[in-house]
Amino acid sequence: MKRFYTILALVMLAIGALALFLMPILWSPEPVLAFQVGFGAGIFSILFGLAVLILILVYTIEWGKTQSAEKINREQDESHRQFLQRLDHELKNPLTGLQAALTNLREAQSPDDSIAAVENASQAASRMKRILKDLRKLADLDAQMLERLPVNVGELVEEMVGAAKDLPANQGRNIHLMISSVPALPPVTGDRDMLGLAVYNLLDNALKYSASVDAVEVRVREDGRALYIEVADAGAGIPLQDQGRIFEDLYRGENARETEGSGLGLALARRIIQLHGGEISLRSDPIQGRGTIFAIHLPVV
Amino acid sequence: MQTALIPAIIPAMKDRPTLLLADDDPTITNSLVPFFERAGFHMITAANGADALEKAQMLHPDMIVLDVLMPRLDGREVLRRMRRAGLQTPTILLTQVGDAVERALALEEGADDYLNKPFESHELLARVRAVLRRSQSGKPSLSTAWRLSAYELTIDRRARRATLNGQLLDLSPKSFAVLEYMMTHPDEVVSRERLLQLVWGWEYPAGTRTVDTRMFELRKALGDNPANPKYIETQAGEGYSFIAPVRMLP
Repeated sequence: MKRFYTILALVMLAIGALALFLMPILWSPEPVLAFQVGFGAGIFSILFGLAVLILILVYTIEWGKTQSAEKINREQDESHRQFLQRLDHELKNPLTGLQAALTNLREAQSPDDSIAAVENASQAASRMKRILKDLRKLADLDAQMLERLPVNVGELVEEMVGAAKDLPANQGRNIHLMISSVPALPPVTGDRDMLGLAVYNLLDNALKYSASVDAVEVRVREDGRALYIEVADAGAGIPLQDQGRIFEDLYRGENARETEGSGLGLALARRIIQLHGGEISLRSDPIQGRGTIFAIHLPVV
Repeated sequence: MQTALIPAIIPAMKDRPTLLLADDDPTITNSLVPFFERAGFHMITAANGADALEKAQMLHPDMIVLDVLMPRLDGREVLRRMRRAGLQTPTILLTQVGDAVERALALEEGADDYLNKPFESHELLARVRAVLRRSQSGKPSLSTAWRLSAYELTIDRRARRATLNGQLLDLSPKSFAVLEYMMTHPDEVVSRERLLQLVWGWEYPAGTRTVDTRMFELRKALGDNPANPKYIETQAGEGYSFIAPVRMLP
């Protein structure tokens, strides 16, 4: 493209130059007045102007393209670098714990020491395993074929709430479930297991980042065009600077550093919902500390 | 090198099953060998695929555990060549990446079972014992058959179809995979976690419910009554087992 226009511009310049020199010799029109422009010179100037214009245009467009490609590359490099940095960080901690536990085991003075060391080592190993498992789930999502079957979302959310309540860590937690029944929820087309995982991750997140006395609220409703699943907690909220990045792979918000997790739960949830043509958004008020609402919206057919 | 040792050890080893463990990572073999020896196995190790194939053919182990990602012949190729050479030694594949393609492939190559890395040593031991139990009882391995049947139920593993009384069953791909695994491993209690790992490729705390939902779908399609089951029985707190007698079809 660029080459074509460059050649075109050069050809125009050449024709213009020819006209400038040959016209007076071949045709010799009436001599021109001062300030008047000869025919050949006229053609030359018009074509010269056009040629320069084309060249400027072509080179500007090209430059713009390179710039944006470079920018995309830089952004990809940056997010890749960040990902590796986070992965390094997430694996370093349990690995350090594992090494320390092994040292303790080697230097154990009593059976009790050994038992404690083994316990610590296996905890560290489980943490690494959890991170790997979530990473694999993420990688799997892109390769795996999603099922496309009608899913009863109300029933699915109820099931996930039940599963979350059953976990030992959540004993006695209060989870309110509100499913609007008027009008009856339409089915969503998609992969039931994947959607369940997305809902479960939001629930798990809400339970983890709010106090055990606080209730978590789950609402399911519909407005004719989309189906909404909202998970609201009464936790500390998400700092503004984290809100835009919290769905990135392995990203850990400022408030999340001390809480255990793989840093992939929300990323996974978003990827799943996007594969279903939906989106996840969040509303959070970190200044007042009035909790966070994660909202999934899924298109209904 | 094991051959040189055998004469001296043979009396003690007599009813010790021999297990060939092939993995190129010494941290894995170094830890698993003493573990399996404590569990009563005689161990042979191989550090690459070519070595594994040679030892499988020369030393005739009772059972083989093969890592998939190995230098010089990967585990899958070793298994393929073994089967082609007519060697039916029961084999468990250790898979690295848990993607769906690989899970389907492992069955295709005639592995008796497979386990995703990372795994717990006890998990592998349980799988090894289950596969060994079946092969020692003289029953043929069902994992190498394309078509299986039990009472009125028939499955075609290549076509991914199940029929009941000749009627095609409407099963989702996941439910079919669950049924396939249950049918190739009858009389075994299959835990929800194992099904999740094998069929879904991942586990999460609420995942066991996911398995129950598929099982419900499957039983409904089979017309199986959980209270008085003909095909799939719930083992309280443990998982499920396929109780109908399974036959291989030509």
